[in-house]
Amino acid sequence: MREIVLQTKQLTKRYRSFTALDHADMTVYREDIYGLIGRNGAGKTTMMKLVTGLSEQTEGEYSIFGKTGSAAEKEKRRIGCLIENPAFFGNLTAYQNLRYYCYQKGITDLKQIDEALELVQLTDVRNKKFRKFSLGMKQRLGIAFAVLDNPDLVILDEPINGLDPIGISELRDTFRKLSQERGITLIISSHILSELYAVANRFLFIDKGKVLKEVTKQELDLECSRCLVVKTDDTKKTATILESKLNITDYKVTDMSEIRIYQENVSPKELNRTLIQNGIDVDGITESGVSLEDYFKQLVGEVRS
Amino acid sequence: MINLMKAELYRMTKSKGFYLFWLFAVITFMISVLYHEPGGISLGAPLDYSDDIKMDVAQTAMNFSYYFFLIIPVFCIISSEFSEHTIKNTITSAISRKKYFTAKYAFTLFYSLLSFLTANYLFYFVNRIINGSKYSSPVSDYSKALFSQLPLFTAIVSLFIFLAFLFRKGAAFNAVTIITPIAYTSISLVLYGIEGTKKAAEKLLTYEISTMISRLALECTDSYRTKCYIISIVVTVSSFVLGYVLFTKRELE
Repeated sequence: MREIVLQTKQLTKRYRSFTALDHADMTVYREDIYGLIGRNGAGKTTMMKLVTGLSEQTEGEYSIFGKTGSAAEKEKRRIGCLIENPAFFGNLTAYQNLRYYCYQKGITDLKQIDEALELVQLTDVRNKKFRKFSLGMKQRLGIAFAVLDNPDLVILDEPINGLDPIGISELRDTFRKLSQERGITLIISSHILSELYAVANRFLFIDKGKVLKEVTKQELDLECSRCLVVKTDDTKKTATILESKLNITDYKVTDMSEIRIYQENVSPKELNRTLIQNGIDVDGITESGVSLEDYFKQLVGEVRS
Repeated sequence: MINLMKAELYRMTKSKGFYLFWLFAVITFMISVLYHEPGGISLGAPLDYSDDIKMDVAQTAMNFSYYFFLIIPVFCIISSEFSEHTIKNTITSAISRKKYFTAKYAFTLFYSLLSFLTANYLFYFVNRIINGSKYSSPVSDYSKALFSQLPLFTAIVSLFIFLAFLFRKGAAFNAVTIITPIAYTSISLVLYGIEGTKKAAEKLLTYEISTMISRLALECTDSYRTKCYIISIVVTVSSFVLGYVLFTKRELE
């Protein structure tokens, strides 16, 4: 069984009458690249602020590396964070800023600064003052800070904001490298679905403070891929007929009244006829298959309705 | 906590505030050293002191200027963390809020008082070397005058720390700390002019910051000294407790 790195149970944050996060459940396993997806103001940053101790929850609890409460506080040393915009001292250079945090975290091996700067390709500008950095460079320094202490978990809030396409691509490679080579678990939030899809292996969809869905990449692919959706009240018998009469094996029973057929070249007409001939009440056969954006829109729409 | 203090010391030496403090301090005492006159500022009435008191001890009576100089380290160590939003980097990964406040408080207090003492002793030794014993007291007399002000400066820095955590924004912190003693004196003087509040105003003026600094360094009764120290202890303790509670309970933006 995979180790749970971070878990939230019914985590809630209210600011007077406004609920920023509403009973959110989330589970992040070791070596996951976990994507938090939601629109601006959905509650992604609130979630991150709560689990990093920047803010206190109104209800619910969370565990970090299996520890809760004050014990979880000690585990914070194993976390590297970049919450909201990268913030550093403008009068210090990139190197001096990281050196400051080395002192703070008790890091004595200063090679770690060079390694972190190299990882985000800021070695050439290590002696440039932070206030003279472009937004993209600031983001990269933020990531260097997050990985400075070789943490086990890195939490990055909107890390691709302000980056150019090449910068985004390089960052994607960095995330993969961190996950594959260093075994770091990453939680990355973004409102750009396609970017998260390119790196993450698990996703949490969130909107208006509520968790809409937590899915793996395989499940997401399955839900977004082209398929025929058969609505019927007897999915068990329908599945038997699909296999025995139509030789369809690539399908999935999604709930008590729905089967999704992913196999190609299945004629809806023939499918309907065969099912009816075998005594199945077919409520409907529709074609499905959506883009990530449409999938998210549908998800938001479903929950609202 | 020690790591946080080491980090702060590293950052302080890279900040403009560090050099600004020493520039102001050196300019102030060098003028006194060169012109053989105690220099500085005071909001209270000029004090009469005996001719036995030499220029260096008289200079400590003008140490109210350090009230303003000490705004600089507090601003650099605390307010800049809020204005640059770097506080979140520390809170999210290195240290709890409680430890953060305690470490910041301890370091700021230690650093500010050390700077205050160092600047004063620097003045003392420079003055002694340049002007000789005509304008310079024995080191024990000078130390007595200087250390008698220390509880008051501890209270001042402690109050600054509380205000820095309260206001968070550097501009608000600077405005309040600079205006407070001036507003205090102005209000006291207005009350002094009103018949019914004259006595209360006299008391207020007696315990006005620059007056306390001057009197503690020069001549004052034991009773006055005790009252000044009680005020200092109350301000130090209450500003620490209030600052701690405020910072650990309030949301970080």
